[in-house]
Amino acid sequence: MAGFIFRRLVSTIAVMAMVGIFVFLLLRLAPGDPAAMIAGRSATAEMIAGIREKLGLNDPMPVQFIRWVRDMLGGDFGTSIFAGRPVLELISQRLEPTLSLSILTMILSVTVGVSFGILAAWRTGGLVDRLLAAFSALGYSVPVFVIGYFFIYFFAFRMHWLPVQGYVPIEGGFRPWFVHLILPTVALGFGYIAFIARVTRASMLEVLSEDYMRTAAAKGASSYAMLFHHALKNAGVPILTVIGISFAYLIGGVVLTETVFNIPGIGRLVVDAINNRDYPIIQSVLILTSGLYVLINLTVDLAYTLIDPRIRY
Amino acid sequence: MTISRRNLFRAGIAAGAALSIPSVLRAQTVPVDARTVRMMNWGVPSVFDPVITTSQDTTDHAAAIYDTLFALDSKFVPQPQMVGKWGVSDDKKTYTFELRDGLGWHDGTPVTAADCVASIRRWAQIRPGGQFMMARVQDISKKDDKTFAIALKEPLGLLPSLLADILYIMREKNADTPATEAVTTNIGSGPFKFNESLFRPGASLTYDRNEQYVPRPEPADGLAGGKIVKVNRVILENIRDAQTAVAALQAGEIDLYTQPPADLFSVIESDPNLVLLPLYKHGHDFFLRINCLQKPFDNVKARQAMLHLVDQEAFLQVLSSDPKYTNTVTSWFGSGNLATNDENTGWFKKGGDPEKAKQLFNEAGYAGEKVVILQPTDWADGSNTSQILAGALRKIGINVELAASDWAGVSARRSKKEAVEEGGWSIFITSDTDFSRSQPMTVAHLSMNGEKAWYGWPQSEEYEALRAKWADLDAVDERKALARKMQAIAWDYVSEVLLGQFTAPIAHRKILTGIIGMPDILPLWNMEKA
Amino acid sequence: MNLLSTPVEAVPMRQLRLSDVPRLGRRHPLVLVGGGLLAVLSILAIAAPLYAGDAVNMDPFKRLQPPSAEMWFGSDNLGRDVFARTIFGARISLMVGLLSAACAALAGALIGVIAGYSRSFDNVVMRVMDGLMSIPTILLAIALISLTGPGIGILIVAIAIPETPAVARLVRSVVLGVRERPYVEAALCGGARLPKVLWRHILPSTIPALMVQGATVCASAILTEAGLSFLGVGVPPEIPSWGNMIASSRLYLAIAPLTIFAPGICLAVTVLAVNLLGDGLRDMFDPRSKRRR
Repeated sequence: MAGFIFRRLVSTIAVMAMVGIFVFLLLRLAPGDPAAMIAGRSATAEMIAGIREKLGLNDPMPVQFIRWVRDMLGGDFGTSIFAGRPVLELISQRLEPTLSLSILTMILSVTVGVSFGILAAWRTGGLVDRLLAAFSALGYSVPVFVIGYFFIYFFAFRMHWLPVQGYVPIEGGFRPWFVHLILPTVALGFGYIAFIARVTRASMLEVLSEDYMRTAAAKGASSYAMLFHHALKNAGVPILTVIGISFAYLIGGVVLTETVFNIPGIGRLVVDAINNRDYPIIQSVLILTSGLYVLINLTVDLAYTLIDPRIRY
Repeated sequence: MTISRRNLFRAGIAAGAALSIPSVLRAQTVPVDARTVRMMNWGVPSVFDPVITTSQDTTDHAAAIYDTLFALDSKFVPQPQMVGKWGVSDDKKTYTFELRDGLGWHDGTPVTAADCVASIRRWAQIRPGGQFMMARVQDISKKDDKTFAIALKEPLGLLPSLLADILYIMREKNADTPATEAVTTNIGSGPFKFNESLFRPGASLTYDRNEQYVPRPEPADGLAGGKIVKVNRVILENIRDAQTAVAALQAGEIDLYTQPPADLFSVIESDPNLVLLPLYKHGHDFFLRINCLQKPFDNVKARQAMLHLVDQEAFLQVLSSDPKYTNTVTSWFGSGNLATNDENTGWFKKGGDPEKAKQLFNEAGYAGEKVVILQPTDWADGSNTSQILAGALRKIGINVELAASDWAGVSARRSKKEAVEEGGWSIFITSDTDFSRSQPMTVAHLSMNGEKAWYGWPQSEEYEALRAKWADLDAVDERKALARKMQAIAWDYVSEVLLGQFTAPIAHRKILTGIIGMPDILPLWNMEKA
Repeated sequence: MNLLSTPVEAVPMRQLRLSDVPRLGRRHPLVLVGGGLLAVLSILAIAAPLYAGDAVNMDPFKRLQPPSAEMWFGSDNLGRDVFARTIFGARISLMVGLLSAACAALAGALIGVIAGYSRSFDNVVMRVMDGLMSIPTILLAIALISLTGPGIGILIVAIAIPETPAVARLVRSVVLGVRERPYVEAALCGGARLPKVLWRHILPSTIPALMVQGATVCASAILTEAGLSFLGVGVPPEIPSWGNMIASSRLYLAIAPLTIFAPGICLAVTVLAVNLLGDGLRDMFDPRSKRRR
């Protein structure tokens, strides 16, 4: 176990180094100049040149890279070119909305998706199974922003049940926080529910066709025991895998949802930063999200042993 | 680990069932505080220094927290704002200004003449109006704590107007920041205080009423007069999606939305709680900027062809199909200004003559050179008008390439003087307020001084000679005559072509009243919420 | 890499034989329906210039017109024919989908096969793949597109790159399973050179996995394109694609619903077809799936 964790940590460092170089090069090669964005639409060339020099953007690239890595290792993720504030402060302000949305979406998708998938697998070709086929066709093919608009129009604007947009921090009370997150969560969850349900269904079918399931049935196990005791436990590993992977996607995938519902999260932060060429923010967010992804998947790998005692590291 | 796995899964499924039970969620969607105004203006500014940027969100921010020496009233006449008594010497070369009583910074210290001198100096380093002024300035000096003087080499009647330009007075220690480096603190002496603890960069920004602010006794008039704040708090939201912003306005989650898309005007008009309000009746003039250095537009005939080609009606349809909010505009000096005139416009009228344009392109020796139009994909109006322009050019056989990128990409590429094959450009579209066209001394795109001019680099000594005289004329008639001469040259040279005027109205809830309408700036004072 | 293209299960799959094809429709209706739909859409798209009309011509004076005999689906916000744009949009969307899938499959197969066979290469390259996988798709795509500005070529690359690691992993796992098989060892002992073995014996065994994975990449690419257009970095606005049509018409849902429904329904049908095909292929190649039905 310890050896496994150690190996994983070493490979994590390799992965992060790779991501670092990639991200840095990607941004510096992009045309567009943060100085021009700072100076505004009617700025003179002279104003822009002055700002460029001041920001150190005229230094050679390797110098900029080394400076960046050195600072980052010291815990300094730099200062936003625009806001003039530490990047870590900006990110931590945006963390709560994104995490809230991601976690709620994950809870919703896993509970609904897994139940949906189990029911569909229970009676293949039955009503639930057909419903799932139709639902997943929809969930897969309607862009999240279209679902979002529909929800806003119907639930918020027509029915006045829920707020149109915005985010209330959880310190402002659980209820307003939750109420503001319902529509974005369901809109974003649509695709994930379909996805997790399909994976669950497939893995359950896989397991249900195993010989030991036939044995269990022959021994007179109830269908409840068959589904939950025997099948789900064995189908757990692939399900857990996709949950691990999709959690990391959620962090990136919330970009569209955050735009539609005006949620001040990480997604908006980084899209704005790319449009403005605010390098320190883009670099840090990409590095941190990669780190988070790696961490989550490490956790998922470890959780395998909990679900499936046959797996040992 | 002793948790039974079976229980874990059962718990999960039970939680799922609980979630799927619909509880009655009659949400509190409208904020209760009637003394708080929420709005989607230009978003939340990311640069806080009004000197180093021309960006509109920053200008509005500065208008809220800073104060100005002079301010334009609704007729664009400069009136003293921070200045109390002021006067000019008999030889018209020395101006003396005395600050009025009661001015104080948000940190509690009083505003001094030294603050003003430092702020003027910083502004004058990089803003065109300031640079122009400095060319004639002998000295700017502090007389005592409340008085300062500007000594000139030669008279400059325009001085109060120049000082009423976006010159915001900062504390001396902030104003000592080099003019290329952004000031990031937000301590002003204006009617609003920046609430640091509620600030969420890129997401929301809160202003609190400055209880210590002493307004002028006169009633508010344009940006001049008493800045009386009638609400406790103003919150800027950053709702990036137009559809969502309109829905939020309809639901009462925000009170004001400054840039509703034209295609949603009908939705807003049909809502009994909402009003569309054109803040400044002459709005923005859209124009295309031509690169005068590269083929085919290094030839004046090809540039004149663009004046024939552009059918303003077509562009205006795309900006807003409601004729209430659009106008054609043919004068170099815009449509709503003193200098507006019809000199040298007869030959192209409002354009829309592709045959004539084609003929002029031929006369210019056009031989299929590529014309690159920079298309900003993150600015809908700019992107749509670029496509219309490309369509019109293609119809007369011009080889057009639309170079799509975000605005960052456009602003990087437009500064390249090279040929289009080497990363240069031919045309880009932008907009500026109609009012700005009345300011040839200070507005960058109205100059024609070659390499030093704005992107496109037009060069006309004749025009520049006339422009130099502008500042010295005080009489309205003389200026009008000069304007005609300048326009005659400008429309022969064609450094840019007007696409039409769009008076974008703002949308607000009816309960919000007292909104002051000025070009360029949305003042946050004077508004009231019932 | 997108949610949809996550490798769900790397089950051992048997090779496709030519003799399977005639029985395909009977045994695997999903493949027939999905493939058939896709074929019809492709033919409609390819034949577009013959019947669809002009998708480029703008008329600002005829914006957002309701459907008419002249313009069946009405006109969009720049006065262009929505029907023509939807049909021509099929070419772009299908091309983006298919080419992204092809690029990702090709690159993924190459990397996966070599990684599956060479230990040292495996260590280096799979770390790079992990790195790519760990950057959120849409952010990576936006960053890549900001290099050159929006364009179809860069869009395909930007979608394919993040999808590649998933394919590479899947192929690698198949190769790891196959390379210990007796027939591969026999071939090597028989004096066959490694590249030839890779080509003749190992690569074919990855084809089923590639086809299944390719179908999901294709579906997710079409959706990713729509999402990128929504953020203003998709296909250049003047070229019609379903994604940028939906994105640019989102304000007109109430005024001219067809501007968004026409491309939206086409998108849904295509994604559905591709998914059916993918499911069908999985059932077809996975011998165990027969027992389930």
